Amino acid sequence: MASRAKTPSRKASRAGKASAQTGTYRPSTVYKSPRTLPVTHLPAQYSRADLEFIGVDHSGASYEARVYVNNPKATADTQPTVSNGYAGSYYIFGHGGCFGDIGHCDIPQKQDVFDTRPSHPLEPIKKVVIATDAIKQAAATSKEIHVTVVPVIMSWTEKSDLTDVMKFDHINLVTYD
Amino acid sequence: MASLIVRKNADNLDAAELAALRTGYTKAQAIMDNRGYNYFAGLHGIPNWYCWHHDHTTGSTVNAKLFLPWHRAYLLSFERAIRDQSPAAPKVGLPWWDWSSATSHSTGVPTAFSVAKVGGKANPLFRGHIIAPTATPPINRQTRRFPGNPNQLPTAATVADLLNLSQFNDFSNQLENIHDFIHGWTGGNNGSIGGDMGSLGTAAWDPIFYSHHCMIDRLWYQWQLKHGANNIPAALLPLVLTPFNMKVQDVLSINALGYEYAVSFNTL
Repeated sequence: MASRAKTPSRKASRAGKASAQTGTYRPSTVYKSPRTLPVTHLPAQYSRADLEFIGVDHSGASYEARVYVNNPKATADTQPTVSNGYAGSYYIFGHGGCFGDIGHCDIPQKQDVFDTRPSHPLEPIKKVVIATDAIKQAAATSKEIHVTVVPVIMSWTEKSDLTDVMKFDHINLVTYD
Repeated sequence: MASLIVRKNADNLDAAELAALRTGYTKAQAIMDNRGYNYFAGLHGIPNWYCWHHDHTTGSTVNAKLFLPWHRAYLLSFERAIRDQSPAAPKVGLPWWDWSSATSHSTGVPTAFSVAKVGGKANPLFRGHIIAPTATPPINRQTRRFPGNPNQLPTAATVADLLNLSQFNDFSNQLENIHDFIHGWTGGNNGSIGGDMGSLGTAAWDPIFYSHHCMIDRLWYQWQLKHGANNIPAALLPLVLTPFNMKVQDVLSINALGYEYAVSFNTL
């Protein structure tokens, strides 16, 4: 089964500085899933649970996205531990910003079915975090599941937006037997 | 009978091999035409952007996950270009950086790549020089690198878990995630700007790029040994790895491509 949160909403992180663990890495705007998933929507048995991030932008800075289950207070200072609901991280190797002429990084539509050119390098992507333990822990201790994603910027260029580095369309929760 | 090129662990190169590798890099970095380092670095990101990451699906029913095949073809072409400029002996392939090793968890980037000078001369493995006059703004400077804390690097246990994934797409996704981390970790930042490995456009100018990708390619090879060399969606096989004269089906066997991976290699 898959759960889909349609409209991402963002609230500013309360973390003003990176933790000692992240050194000089920088926090950015935190994502909190606007919808919760009743645990009754999960099957009784599953061997693996993935959190799929769909439509992820990778045009900007390189960052770590720390994924927490049922920890809406997570920030860049939160220790990524199971007890804090940490499920895992996905990483973005970003383009760093646009170094072409105006329009270079705009994703064009294919002209027609005969247009066999490779698709644009900045097409949004999918990232998958294998989150089995965190999902099972949340399902065992709560009636609902929600996700908080904390971006921590690792590397950037003079053309990178550091305020709102993380953008994606929605999250799927997918289980496998 | 032709012998295979052996790609060795960067920490296990002997002095003669390291000297030969440095000669190849130094000469290639001085060449500005299509035999040179600047040309090959410019194929990956700025200004040509041929590199393939993640899935490309627009205009196709094929979920084109070419991250591993494309970079295998890229490394092969780059390695040939470096060997063109290297001494005939010793015969040296691109070394791989095992960022999961105990050594890397202590030193981070291999010593061969992290010392600025060797014998009083600039170490060509320490940094490259980006010349990208058509970028906006134009770039003409040496690369920079601000690696993170070595204890953050992936562990051998993480690699073992990775190699246990049995489906190609699953394996490729998770390996690329680790790859993405290494780029951000190696580039890092100095508080005001990031290092070049951390941005796709400039990453291939940093010499450690190729040894990082050798590690990625080696892990794919190890996965192939475990799960089958032809264990890849059939729909990917005829796809072209632009701009190289190869298709996915041409890069599945590293031995057929003329190289192998070894932790160490000695001639008696």
